[in-house]
Amino acid sequence: MDYLRNFFVNLARSWTAWIGGFLPDWGVNLVNYLVVGIILVLMPVIATLTLTWMERKVIGRIQNRIGPNRVGPWGIFQAFADAVKMLIKEDIVPSGADKPVFNLAPILIAGAAALLWAVVPFGRGMIGQNLNIGALYVVAVGSITTIAVIMAGWSSNNKFALLGAFRVVAQLLSYEIPMVLSIATVVLVTGTMRMGDIVERQVAPFIVVLPVAFITYLLAAAAETGRAPFDLLEADSEIVAGYFVEYSGLKFGWFYIAEYGNLFAIAAITTTLFLGGWRGPFVSVAPALGPFYFVIKSVAVIFVLMWIRGTWPRFRIDQMLAFAWKVLVPASLANLLWSAIVLQIGRQPEQLGPTIVQMILLLVGNVAILAVTGLLLGRAARRYAAQHGWAGA
Amino acid sequence: MRASDLIHLLPELILLGGAALVLLLDIVWLRRAEERRRQLLPYVALGVLLVAALGLIPGGGDNVSVATMLVFDPFALFFKVFALLAVALIVLLATPYMQTRTPFSGEFYALLLATALAICLAVSASNLVMIYLSMEFLSITSYVLAGYFRQDRKSGEAALKYFLYGATASAVMLYGMSLLYGATGTTDLAGLVAGLSSGAAGQSAWLVTPAIILLLAGFGFKASLVPFHQWAPDTYEGAPTPVTAFLSTASKATGFAILMRVFLVGMGAASMASQWISLLVALSVVTMTLGNLTALRQTNIKRLLAYSSIAQAGYILIGVVAVVSDSTRIFTGINGVLIYLLAYLFTNVGAFAVVTAIEDATGKLEIKDYSGLVRRSPWLAGLLFIFLISLTGVPPTGGFLGKFFVFGAAVQTRMWVLLAIAAVNSVVAAFYYLNIVRYMFFVPAAEEGEPIRVGRPLQGALAITAVVTVLLGLIPGPVILWASESARSLLLALR
Amino acid sequence: MQQAIFIILALLTLGAALMTVITRNLLRAALWLVATFFGIAAIFILLRAEFLAVAQILVYVGAISTLIIFAIMLSRGIMDPDQVRFNGQWGVVGGFAALLFVVLAVIVTRVPWPAAAGGAPVGDAPADAIARLGAAFVGPYAIPFEVASVLLVVAMIGAIIIARERE
Repeated sequence: MDYLRNFFVNLARSWTAWIGGFLPDWGVNLVNYLVVGIILVLMPVIATLTLTWMERKVIGRIQNRIGPNRVGPWGIFQAFADAVKMLIKEDIVPSGADKPVFNLAPILIAGAAALLWAVVPFGRGMIGQNLNIGALYVVAVGSITTIAVIMAGWSSNNKFALLGAFRVVAQLLSYEIPMVLSIATVVLVTGTMRMGDIVERQVAPFIVVLPVAFITYLLAAAAETGRAPFDLLEADSEIVAGYFVEYSGLKFGWFYIAEYGNLFAIAAITTTLFLGGWRGPFVSVAPALGPFYFVIKSVAVIFVLMWIRGTWPRFRIDQMLAFAWKVLVPASLANLLWSAIVLQIGRQPEQLGPTIVQMILLLVGNVAILAVTGLLLGRAARRYAAQHGWAGA
Repeated sequence: MRASDLIHLLPELILLGGAALVLLLDIVWLRRAEERRRQLLPYVALGVLLVAALGLIPGGGDNVSVATMLVFDPFALFFKVFALLAVALIVLLATPYMQTRTPFSGEFYALLLATALAICLAVSASNLVMIYLSMEFLSITSYVLAGYFRQDRKSGEAALKYFLYGATASAVMLYGMSLLYGATGTTDLAGLVAGLSSGAAGQSAWLVTPAIILLLAGFGFKASLVPFHQWAPDTYEGAPTPVTAFLSTASKATGFAILMRVFLVGMGAASMASQWISLLVALSVVTMTLGNLTALRQTNIKRLLAYSSIAQAGYILIGVVAVVSDSTRIFTGINGVLIYLLAYLFTNVGAFAVVTAIEDATGKLEIKDYSGLVRRSPWLAGLLFIFLISLTGVPPTGGFLGKFFVFGAAVQTRMWVLLAIAAVNSVVAAFYYLNIVRYMFFVPAAEEGEPIRVGRPLQGALAITAVVTVLLGLIPGPVILWASESARSLLLALR
Repeated sequence: MQQAIFIILALLTLGAALMTVITRNLLRAALWLVATFFGIAAIFILLRAEFLAVAQILVYVGAISTLIIFAIMLSRGIMDPDQVRFNGQWGVVGGFAALLFVVLAVIVTRVPWPAAAGGAPVGDAPADAIARLGAAFVGPYAIPFEVASVLLVVAMIGAIIIARERE
């Protein structure tokens, strides 16, 4: 029973002890690094296999359909069938494509998706690498995606692909700013960039302390990964499939894996930053519960993102950029400023995480920012409607 | 950094707030207002400069260091007053000029205030990090100002050349700074001189001379010294004329202020001083000779003034190389530089004010277009005459006073060869300056033109610059005293 | 061990840098530049400057290379492989570059650098290195930090001026 309480950590210990019996120290380290690395690299693949099924089911229900239901019970093996289909498809390289770049792009984008997992804390002590710059690492790795997408769009020698790549730059660069600002708010409040410590110091989930940062992050992250309603880079009705229109077979699969890997990753990071990560009831008694809480919370976030996708129409590019620059950036800047002020009030030396009073003040400020943003947005919407002579303005 | 330090930063804070104010006024209020209200903007900018000048008073007399990054001494104060004066004159110059050329002038004045802020920071910076940042700040603002008219191809060319040259120069300078940091482990100027004279790395000839040369690329670019001058003619010609006036006076003076502070404070020890002095002597000779010889062949007045401004930088450099550490002397070299820069500010801005007035009325910039100017507008011709003889260095003008102090310092340090070259150069320069005078007074115009109308702000600028140019020559006492006093704080560092 | 890793990284970085210069295709050159930036970031990690490494990726790979690639893609004729690569001055420039290399090599080898004399600090970087970096930004380097932000604002205004619609 005691073994089960901290099952994952104990399992790792027994494993290390076992291979330590016949391997030298450096060998143990090497094997452990490899095992952890393989688990983390497999995360995007696992995400793809499970989340595509989930997405199709959820969207299906929203659209009053059943969704996949042929392959296996409730269609749960649909993803495997798709994977097999993708693997046996012909690999096509368009003529006039820049071949090395064309081939490199899917590898880079999938690699970036896998790299993100290195700093995700699944439970206490269950983190690939508790980097002292974890939060910044998340942003930096995300920016690699931009390069990969440009590479794909340019090397395809296809105007739709290139248009998609152009849109990516405008979109990713714009939404990176509110994303960084909202992460910075969390870093400011917790006083650390280590993803593990951010969870440790999150006494109350930051979704109730910093709702503005949470909403900003979620929207910016959705835009960063090109999820609907921000899916302009692959808007099928406008530019066919965007930057990866020319890819087929396994290379197309890599993009697919990257997309769902990123989706799961941003859900995991949202969970870490705002939902208390692996925290939950009885975790202190049985730390093995942590990863379960973590996955449940992440899936909840993914469900919200799918829900958004299923219900919102796609933005126009100018609306989307205006939304980033005129709404998200000012709101998150105000939030950052307010957090800095609050944390300076009654600051204790060696303080780890915010005090209760500070949390209440933060919440008050956040609610005020939300109210002002909502008010201004409502006014802008009414003015817009009046200009266009829409009814009900 | 303590809260009490903020009093020394008052002018900078006022300029920052003022720049933001001008920008916001323009966007929020004036852009939708009628034409006449919009013309208030330059006066708001002038008001900001005035308040900033008042802000110099509370912390003015002190000689302190703030947060080890900035130092507030009389030398910095001199250049701050200089910068505020210069930018105020440029605002006056720009008022009618911008009004007729672009509907967007708000950013222009905001950027001008930002340049004043940049100069204030640059001249008091006592740390290489701060020096680099404030120089870059000044450069980036200047690039934008030079390319302000985006439809005008020449303005664009001016900005692009300036930018490409400036970016390279600052990268080279940064490399030089990194060498110094590597050898001493500090970026503080005072720490630099200690580190360079004690550590083995600092004593190495393989470090100091390359570092000086690399630093000079950055400073020389700002001060338009040969061989870092190639941007100047095209940029001066293409940039809006008030911006040209700014680049040739305030921006150049900043280059000299930083050069003097870095070399006198950061490399003031005798062993290093001999190295940069010999380098600067060579630069001075090349700069004035090349500037003057090229100026001789120019037909465009802005290009001519550009090359003349390069040549003048050569004369000013004489003051730096003729520096003596004994601050009780009358000629310390540095005070000559300060006087020269001040006189040159009023003279050159005045000359550009006349050029602006004529360009506004006729749109012409060739020297031959100035023929018969005396009949057309005797006032403008007379004023330009004053400015040109001041540039030549004829008494009783400010230009003479500057040359007197700079050459006097050279006499004192017995730099006869340099002096002889400078004298020959002055004669060559007289030729092309007086050539313009010849056109204005003795060559009849091809066609009779209307008298040139000069707007009120420009009239103000012309009056101020002309009066000061002459007064500097007639009553030099206060300025000499002020410059010598300001130079003293820097000379103390020289050993 | 560290030495070996450093040599490999340095070779990779230099190789990528060389490819940046000699590739005919400008966009490929930009991508090689990205590879160079990654190499530099890796060297930063080797020097235990994780923050600089991540900042390097964030700024240089994420922003600067993207802008460079964008500029290349939006420029006409620049991707033409028949474009003349050298102008008449290449000999002079090459000579100067060679001279510069010799001078820099001499500087690096001849000057007794204090850092080289004392040897690099051994062991892990202090745990609170990032915190100290942050404290330096708001402590002794507060004024440069603020000036840098004002500089960026001015640069942004400048960008707007250059990019605004025609009058």
